[in-house]
Amino acid sequence: MRRLPEGGRMITLAVFSLFGVLAVVSAVLVVVQKNAMHSVFYLASTVLSTAGVFFALQAEYLGAIQILVYGGGIVVLYIFVIVIVNLKEIVPEQRKLIPKIFLVGVPVLLCVEVVTLVLRTGFPAAAPRAEGAGFKEMAEMLFSSYLLPFEAASVLLLAVLVGAIVVARRKHIDDPD
Amino acid sequence: MFLLIPLFPLVGAAINGLIGIRFFSRRAVGATAVGAAGLSFAAAVASFTGLLRSAEPVLVKTLYTWVPASLVRLAGGKAAPLALDFAFRYDSLAAVMTLVVTGVGLLIHIYSVGYMAHDRSYARFFAYLNLFTFAMLVLVLGANLGVMFIGWEGVGLCSYLLIGFWFTKDAAANAGKKAFITNRVGDFGFLLGTGLLIYALGTVDIAGITAAVEGGMLAKGTATAAALLLFLGATGKSAQIPLYTWLPDAMEGPTPVSALIHAATMVTAGVYMVARFHVLFSFSGTALTVVALTGAFTAVYAATMAFVQTDIKRVLAYSTISQIGYMFIGLGVGAYAAGIFHLMTHAFFKSLLFLAAGSVIHALSGEQDMRRMGGLRARIPRTYRVFLVGALAISGIPGLSGFFSKDEILASVFASGDYLVWGLGLAGAAMTAFYMFRLVFMTFYGEERLSPEAGHHLHESPPVMLVPLRILAVLAIFGGYVGLPRVLGGRAWFSRFLETSTGTHESHLPAGTEVLLMIVSVGASLAAIYAAYVIYVKRGGEPARRFAEKFRALYRTVSRKYFVDEAYGRIFVGGVFAAGRAANWIDAHVIDGIVDGAARLARRVSRLAILFDGGVVDGAVNGIGRVHLAASALLRRLQTGYIYNYALAVVLGVVLVITLVIAVL
Amino acid sequence: MIPIEAVLGLGMIVFTIGLAGVLVRKNLVIMLMSLELLLNGVNIILAGLGRHLNSPRGSIFALFVIITAVSEAAVGFALVLAYFRHKKSCDTDALNDLKG
Repeated sequence: MRRLPEGGRMITLAVFSLFGVLAVVSAVLVVVQKNAMHSVFYLASTVLSTAGVFFALQAEYLGAIQILVYGGGIVVLYIFVIVIVNLKEIVPEQRKLIPKIFLVGVPVLLCVEVVTLVLRTGFPAAAPRAEGAGFKEMAEMLFSSYLLPFEAASVLLLAVLVGAIVVARRKHIDDPD
Repeated sequence: MFLLIPLFPLVGAAINGLIGIRFFSRRAVGATAVGAAGLSFAAAVASFTGLLRSAEPVLVKTLYTWVPASLVRLAGGKAAPLALDFAFRYDSLAAVMTLVVTGVGLLIHIYSVGYMAHDRSYARFFAYLNLFTFAMLVLVLGANLGVMFIGWEGVGLCSYLLIGFWFTKDAAANAGKKAFITNRVGDFGFLLGTGLLIYALGTVDIAGITAAVEGGMLAKGTATAAALLLFLGATGKSAQIPLYTWLPDAMEGPTPVSALIHAATMVTAGVYMVARFHVLFSFSGTALTVVALTGAFTAVYAATMAFVQTDIKRVLAYSTISQIGYMFIGLGVGAYAAGIFHLMTHAFFKSLLFLAAGSVIHALSGEQDMRRMGGLRARIPRTYRVFLVGALAISGIPGLSGFFSKDEILASVFASGDYLVWGLGLAGAAMTAFYMFRLVFMTFYGEERLSPEAGHHLHESPPVMLVPLRILAVLAIFGGYVGLPRVLGGRAWFSRFLETSTGTHESHLPAGTEVLLMIVSVGASLAAIYAAYVIYVKRGGEPARRFAEKFRALYRTVSRKYFVDEAYGRIFVGGVFAAGRAANWIDAHVIDGIVDGAARLARRVSRLAILFDGGVVDGAVNGIGRVHLAASALLRRLQTGYIYNYALAVVLGVVLVITLVIAVL
Repeated sequence: MIPIEAVLGLGMIVFTIGLAGVLVRKNLVIMLMSLELLLNGVNIILAGLGRHLNSPRGSIFALFVIITAVSEAAVGFALVLAYFRHKKSCDTDALNDLKG
C-alpha cells in the first residue's frame, strides 16, 4: 500500500467520513421505508456508499466488486422481484410499538457490547502500508492459500443457479414435483 | 376273688350299653343285667365267706401301678415317695358294703325288669344301672383315696345319668344337673382333703393313712382340716346340710333309681367314707363333733320338711336325708359300727319303701300325689302289706331291724354324754314315725280320692316286682338280728365283725339305762303313730289342714323347704350368672369396643391413606404431569412460528455470550 | 489514516441497523434487504482490518462474503416467489406454520 502524504490522509479520512455517514443514513432509510420500492432505492444508495468506504479504505478491488455485484446485480434483482410480486398493492400492518423498541434495542445492545469487547481486547499493531495497489498479493493469495474456498464458491454459485431456478419454477400440471 | 365283684356289673354295663341298646330284645337286656348283678352278688357272698374263714382280716390286691412312686416334698420339708396304685382292699367293712350293694342291687334289678317294662329306653336304663353298681363297688373296694375317688365320681355321674333318665322332661334334666353340680361342690372338698393328706403324710393309701395317724405323724389341726374337707364331700354325696338340696329333686328319676341310689347305696357313700377313715376322724375330735351335729340337725331339719310333702316319693326322700343324719350321728360319737349297722338296715327298709311306693305309683298309672290316693289298703293289699313292714321298720318298732340299729345309735349317743344330740335324735325318731304313718294313712286308709283313670286301671304289681319286695320285707324284719345288742341277749356279732375295720367301741351303759332308753324311744314312736292315726284316719286330715291355715306362714316356709333352694339359687347360681353377664358386658363393650375401635381406627387410617394416596401420591404423579403440561404450555409459547422471534432469540443468545465474555475478561 | 476503531464503529452501526431491520420489518422483501445491510456492515469491518493489518486477507474474506450474499439473495428471491404464489402475501407473520 502507498504511503499517502499528510494531506492525503486528511482527505482519506474526510472521504471515509462522508461515505460512512451516507451509508448509515441510507441504511436507516432502507429499513424505515414503508414502500418497498423506496427501500430498494435506498439500498442502492447504501451499497454505493459502502463501495465508497471501501475505496477510502484502499480496498479498491473490493469496492469495484461491490458496485458490480451488489449494485448491478442484487439491487436490480430486488427491483425485479418487487415488480413481479406487486408489492405496492399489498401493505402488511406494522408491528406494535413495544416489541419494536425491544427489537431495536437488542441489536443496539449487541453493537455496544461487541464494540466494548473489541476495544477492550485491543487491536494488533498497525502494519506499515506499502506503495501501490495490493492486487498482486491478493491474487497470489487467492489462488494459493484460498484456492479451495475459491473453487468451492464457484460450485456454490452453480448450485444456487440451479436451485433458484428449481425453486422458482411454476408448477405444471403434469410436473412430477 | 373279691376283684370279681365289680367286674360283673362292668361287663354287664358294657354289653348292654354297646350292643344291647341296638340288638338285644328286652328279655336279653334284662337277663344280661340281672345276670351280671346276680353274679356280682354271688362273688360278694363267696368273698365274704372266704373272709370269715381266713385268718387275714385284710386283703389288698394291686392291679397295676397308676402313678409310679416319685418323691414329693411334704409339709415339714421331708421328702416321701408318693405312689398311686390301682389297688383294691377287702376287709370286714368292705364285705358288709359289697353285700349290701350287690344284694339290694340285685333285688332292685329284678324289680326294674317289671317296673321299666314299658319304657322306651329299657336297655339304656340297665346299662346305667349296671354301670352304677360297678362304680359303687369300686368306691367301697378302693384301697386308697385315688381309686375311691374314681368310684366317688362314677356314682355321681351315674346318678346324673339316672336322675335325668327321662331327659326330655325339663324337670328331670334340671334335677340331674342340680345333683351333679351340688355333688361337685362336695367333691371339691374331697379333693382338697386328699391333697392336704398327701401334703401332710405323703400317702393316700388307707392303710398308710391309718398307720400314719396312729403313729402320731399328723398334727391335730391338719387332721381336723383334712377330715372336715373330706366330710364336705360326704355331705354332698350323702345329702346332708348344706349340700342336700339335690336329693328331693332327684325323685324325678325312675323309682328303682331312687331306691338303689338314693336310699341304699350312693347316699351311703359318705357314711362309708367316714367309717373308713375313722382313725383320722377320731384323732381330730373337732371333726367328729361337727359330723355328729351336722347329722343331728339334718335329721330333724329334714323330718320337718317331710311333714308337709304331698308327693309320696318326696316324703321318702326327706326321710332318707333324715335317716342318713342318724348314721352320721352314730359315726359322730365314735360308734362307727352302729352307723354302718343303720346303713345296712336302712338299705333294707328304705329300698323296700321306695319300691313299694313304686308299686303304688305303678298301680295308679303314675299318680304320685298322696292327696289323690287313699283307701288303697283294700285295693292293693299285697303292696300295702310290704309297705307297712317298711314303715314299721323305719319307725323303730321293736322286733324289726330298724329298732335295733336306731337304738344302738341312740344308746351310743347317750353314753357319750352328748345329750343335745340325743335329744335331737329322739325327736327325730318320733317325727319319723309320725310322717311315715301320715304317708301310710293318707295312701292306704280313708276314703278314696283317686282320679277316675287311676281308679279304673288299678291293679296289683306283677310278681317280678312283688317278689323282690317280699324279700326286702323279710330282710327289713330279720336283718337286724345280726346286731342284736347284749342287753337283749345277743352278742353283737355285727359290731365285733366290723371291729377289724372300724375299731372297738363299746358303749358302757348300764343295762338298765339302755333298756330305759329303748322304752322311751319306742314310746315316742308309738305315740307319734297314734297321733298320725288320729289326725289322718279318724279325722280325715282335718286337724292338719286347720293347723296349716292357722300357721300359714310357718306352713309355707316349711313346705317351701325353708326357701333354701331359692337362697342357693340367688347366691350361687345368680352369682355365676351375674359374673357371666359381667363377662359378657366386658366382652361386648370393652373387648368388642377395642376390636371395633381398632376396626374403626383401621378404617380411618385407611381413609387417610386413601386421601394420602389420592391426594399426595396421585397429586405428585398428576402434579408431575401437570407441571410438564404447564411447562410445555409455557415453552410452547416460544415456538411462535414468527421468524422475527427466532431471529431475536439468536441475537439474544449472541448478546448473552458476549456479555459473558466481557464479564470474564 | 483512518483509525480502525472508527471503521469498526461504522461497520457495527450498519450491522446493527440491518439487524434491527431484520427483526422489525414484517415485509419479507425488505427483511431480505436488511439482511444485505448486515453483510455490508461486516464487509466494512473486514476491509478495515485488511488495511490495518496490511494484508489482502481482509479483501479476500469480504469477497467470499459477497459471493455468499449473492447466493443467498438468489435463493431467497426464488423462495419469495414461491411463497408469494402460494400465500398471496408477503407477511412473514403469516409464515407461522411452525407455531406450536
